[in-house]
Amino acid sequence: MSKEHFLEVQGLKKYFEAGRPGLFSRAAPRYVHAVDGVSFTLRHSEVIALVGESGCGKTTLSLLLMGLEDSTEGTISFEGRDITHLSDKDRKAMRRKIQMVFQDPYESLNPTQTIEEIVNEPLVVHRIGADKKERDERVKKAMEDAGLKPAEIYLDRYPHELSGGQRQRVVIAAALVLEPEILLADEPVSMLDVSIRAEIINLLAELRITRQIAVIFITHDLGSVGFFADRVAVMYLGRIVEIGTMLDVLEKPQHPYTKALISVIPVPNPRLRRERIILQGETPNPIDLPSGCRFHPRCPVAMAFCKDSDPPFVAVSKTHQAACLLLVK
Amino acid sequence: MAVQITTKVNPPNRFEKFWVTMRGNPIGLTGLVMLVSIILIAIFAPVIAPHQYYTSGDVSSSDIYNAPSSTHIFGTDDAGKDVFSEFVTGARVSLIVGFFAAFISVAIGGLTGIVAGFFGGRVENVLMRLTDIMLVIPDLPLMVVIIALTKPSLLNIIFVIGIFGWTTTARIVRSQTLAVKSRKFVLRARAIGAGNFHIIRHHILPLVLPILVVQAVLTVSYAILEESTLSFLGLGDPTAPSWGQMLNFAFSRGAMSTGAWWALVVPGLGIVWVVLGLTLFGQGLEKVLNPRLATHHLMPGRPVLAAKSGTSVQAKKALLEVQNLSIHYVNDEGKPPARAVENVSFTLERGELIGLVGESGCGKTTMMLALLRLLPAAGQIVDGRVFFNGKELTALSEEEMNDKVRWSGISIVFQGAMNALNPVRTVGEQIAEAIIKHIEEFPRDQVQTRVVELLDLVGITADQKDNYPHQYSGGMRQRAMIAMALACNPQVIIADEPTTALDVMIQAQILELLDSLRKKLGLAIIFVTHDLGVVAEICDRVLVMYGGVTAEYADVDTIYNQPSHPYTQELIKAFPDLTKPKKKLSSIPGYPPQLDDLPAGCRFAPRCPSAFARCHIEQPTLHKLGDTHLASCHLVEVPK
Amino acid sequence: MKRWRLIFKRLGWALATILFVVVLNFFLFRIMPGDPARQGIRDPRLTPASIAAIRVRFGLDKPVINCFQSLNPVKLGDCNVNPLDTQFFIYGRNLLKGDLGISFYFNRPVTEILRERFWNTVLLIGLGQILAIMLGVVFGLFAAWKARTAVDYSALISGLVAWSLPTFWLAIILLFWGTSVGFPIGGKATPGMSSYPLSQQFGDLLHHLFLPTLAYTIIYMGEYMLIMRSSLLDVLAEDYILAAKAKGLSVFQILKDHALKNAMLPLVTIIAINLGFTVAGAVQIETVFSWPGLGGAIFESVARKDYPVLQGAFLLIAVSVIIANLLADLTYSYLDPRVQVD
Repeated sequence: MSKEHFLEVQGLKKYFEAGRPGLFSRAAPRYVHAVDGVSFTLRHSEVIALVGESGCGKTTLSLLLMGLEDSTEGTISFEGRDITHLSDKDRKAMRRKIQMVFQDPYESLNPTQTIEEIVNEPLVVHRIGADKKERDERVKKAMEDAGLKPAEIYLDRYPHELSGGQRQRVVIAAALVLEPEILLADEPVSMLDVSIRAEIINLLAELRITRQIAVIFITHDLGSVGFFADRVAVMYLGRIVEIGTMLDVLEKPQHPYTKALISVIPVPNPRLRRERIILQGETPNPIDLPSGCRFHPRCPVAMAFCKDSDPPFVAVSKTHQAACLLLVK
Repeated sequence: MAVQITTKVNPPNRFEKFWVTMRGNPIGLTGLVMLVSIILIAIFAPVIAPHQYYTSGDVSSSDIYNAPSSTHIFGTDDAGKDVFSEFVTGARVSLIVGFFAAFISVAIGGLTGIVAGFFGGRVENVLMRLTDIMLVIPDLPLMVVIIALTKPSLLNIIFVIGIFGWTTTARIVRSQTLAVKSRKFVLRARAIGAGNFHIIRHHILPLVLPILVVQAVLTVSYAILEESTLSFLGLGDPTAPSWGQMLNFAFSRGAMSTGAWWALVVPGLGIVWVVLGLTLFGQGLEKVLNPRLATHHLMPGRPVLAAKSGTSVQAKKALLEVQNLSIHYVNDEGKPPARAVENVSFTLERGELIGLVGESGCGKTTMMLALLRLLPAAGQIVDGRVFFNGKELTALSEEEMNDKVRWSGISIVFQGAMNALNPVRTVGEQIAEAIIKHIEEFPRDQVQTRVVELLDLVGITADQKDNYPHQYSGGMRQRAMIAMALACNPQVIIADEPTTALDVMIQAQILELLDSLRKKLGLAIIFVTHDLGVVAEICDRVLVMYGGVTAEYADVDTIYNQPSHPYTQELIKAFPDLTKPKKKLSSIPGYPPQLDDLPAGCRFAPRCPSAFARCHIEQPTLHKLGDTHLASCHLVEVPK
Repeated sequence: MKRWRLIFKRLGWALATILFVVVLNFFLFRIMPGDPARQGIRDPRLTPASIAAIRVRFGLDKPVINCFQSLNPVKLGDCNVNPLDTQFFIYGRNLLKGDLGISFYFNRPVTEILRERFWNTVLLIGLGQILAIMLGVVFGLFAAWKARTAVDYSALISGLVAWSLPTFWLAIILLFWGTSVGFPIGGKATPGMSSYPLSQQFGDLLHHLFLPTLAYTIIYMGEYMLIMRSSLLDVLAEDYILAAKAKGLSVFQILKDHALKNAMLPLVTIIAINLGFTVAGAVQIETVFSWPGLGGAIFESVARKDYPVLQGAFLLIAVSVIIANLLADLTYSYLDPRVQVD
């Protein structure tokens, strides 16, 4: 399998208009800088975790990667081909390569469809499968790969008859039936009970091996990625502030935000009294961005010069980069 | 390992489900019966009517306005004709006009609503402006004008009523379409690659159809009323007499002065019968398709049953003592009650922080509501006692709870602060309200200052005081709730999942806030959560619940480092630990038990990795494992 | 500042709707089959010369409209015609002067005929709506509060029945009953009443007003009660009601300070949407009780084929409803702090 960059995102931006100024207003139009210059790469069967809190742009980024929103600037390329702006027909064909798993297992399924209809739908939309028998085979395989064994007992059920974990498996099965090469999972376990989150994460890890699928795992919970991510990218206010292998980022974080995030993750050990860096306030709104380094208003180690210039990426090692002025030495 | 499925028997098909729901729906059923009866009468009118309406041969002037008799069971009208025959014939006209006009309205309205709602933008704007204009223009006068200027034929009337009746349907269908369009499964369909037509057909339509059906039923009743009104005003088709026309003739040809009440009452009752039937049927349908919760928070609660266990006075010297509390959710259908909480005991000292841990549905929120006697209408405390400051809470009346305990003694921070704050009142007002209610001597002019103080304690600036909840961010709302909970200087605060659905950083802020408040003000806090990691950071003691019973109760160190109950052990194993990142994650297979269908024996046995034969037969008692360590498991039974 | 933008926007739309109604009103009477002049003149013995003279008097000899060539490519009329001399322009100009034309039947200005009728209708609808709202809110509140008890079920059934009654039929039945117990058979005042002292006139007015208002109130009270009930049921199931209970507030306090305002918001919207329909009720009630209002004017002018009065009454009704709708809409935005400026 070639190790070349299979998915490459370069300088991706998405700005939304923030309310229209009135007919007689002379103010400049304001924008929500939802995604403001994101670049990363992904290899075959690699798992990258995008970590960030609300307002960091991760959901918008997922919509851009799926082609459900048009980007304002930047490029996305898949296997060397630019897929940033595609025609409807090409976009539809692209959907067979990259599929998505959503956050809310209770809302991602149409309550009036049976499980069979749900998992079969992508095949119908893309006219895959010569006849019903073939489609049934594909549906069955996808469901079993998603852990719904034996598939038969689930086919005629409705979503409300299944638990949260089972529903999420149905969503995964519906994504797998198209045999994608990339799975984009947007907070797939945050709405499930802690005791069953592991099931779904284990499933995704397994799929990466058995089906050679690359996974982009979006989450706000660093703890759950420690287990199976190869690389981790930390996002803040529309940008990636640190990116590296999982061990790089979790054991040797460089950016102050990453350090703070890691320090507040709950650890089930009361004897471990760690130093927690609790940031004050909330993520500022992405319309009126702070000057210079976007993190400086909340940064516990901000210096005077941090409000003047935007930090570039600094290579901490071959695999590890962070955007902090304090690293520029 | 295969995953269990929740239902055990063959699921009923759609018709069976419909029949069962209709059976429990007397209003809808009555309406249906009323409708079917009148439709049958209309269909068989020529057979039923004893006298042909159109023949005027055998009628003389002495037949005018005869009272009901054996030959004319509803009497005769102004022209001497049999009212009963006219009635059944008239039924046909009224129903036909009603149904066809409604069909036109529903078709136009449904189409407009879906197109406007789905495509949005300019299309929606134009369609909705048109709808608004038509909605505002009074329809009866315009209908009168149009029919007066054209020919009052049946077709005309159907058409005119049809083109005026679509506006309400369009608005309702549009808002439903908008609601469905924004749901995640529509986004998922797009992500799969489905086009507009596919989405409308498979996702929008099935979810809009129920509302459309209800609207259709209501539109038919509207159409029938309009037709009868127009006919009454003299604009009906003279060749196709309807009930409205019968009333027109009766009213304008002296039925009142002659006292011929039958000519006025009978046709009117016909209209009322059909419209009421439709309305009831529509109400019934709506109840099935759009079920509303059957209870609300102001319904009277159930009485606390006399305690069979526990002591009559407070046993230990604690601030709050819960003894053997059991709570059931009772139903009126004779089914067994859901045993939400069974025999749970714990204590809370001044300044202590206890973590109440368990999965969703394990009874923790139920128990917290019971402490404040806020159980929903179906909930009932069936055993046990709660002592607070020496007083027996479970024996107090509503007034005493309101005056002495609620908020001033024990307050609560609800899960999901968005909905716990009234959206049409300012945050400041809602905090002030608590102060005014409980601290009578508080000088009125100082209340606002106190509100600002409280907001400051939780890190909200004074200028936010007069803002509305929707203007606050999620983290701010949670902090505002905490400020409100502190308003009357309570001794205990119950925090029910206060950090669920918040970002990790905000979560950390809230936890730090609660901990510092506890230390500063000497508060005792009950922290309810399903998140073990959170508990480890700040709690002194932990109560782990499973399926409504106590699994384990100990201080925090013991719980994490020497857990004795298998459930506690599994919970700790399932929690991802960053300090050991490559360890494989484990989970607990299976599902929490159904509280109205509990297994015999230990409630955790079906999912327990260490279960043996006895576990499935006998429920374990709470064993004492140390001075302050309790666990309910057969495995920890200390042999005598 | 934002609130003014909202008000202007809504005002703009109201004006646009009024303009639309005015234009519609004009064309309705010209496009519909039948020359208004021929229809308005009942007497078949009139000579062609007289007919022509009458047509001139009513301005019916002028061209309807010029062709508006600059605005649309479809030719409506003759482009060589002076636009200011068309019926349409004259109609518009007269409207702005408050001149609604001359009644075919009475031979008097329409404005004169309708002025007093307008206030009579306002009295009837106003009184009826206020009573219906008050009673509907109170009954709806009790029904929701005591949900699933006998109070609730009886309120629900009576509301549904009231809603299903045809307005004119209820009016007839009430009239039938009322006349047998001494209420007048119709009208606004007993003939010759004006010579009596004012207090007696007032009593006489109430005597005549009673039945029509009763009919109006019953119909709308039913609907408002049903809406208030379902709205309040939704509100009382909300978490903030539980929070208010946890704060130790009494049931009365909770209803007053937390539930009422929230539950009434949907009611305000419905009342606004309903205003167009409440006029339908007025037409029927005024007809049955011979109440001299605008609704009755519509009915009578149809029977008499008195088109200027019909046209004027319709216009007056439509404009009033549009303005009332605007006020209700603005009231809602004032009450609900969540309303955003578009």
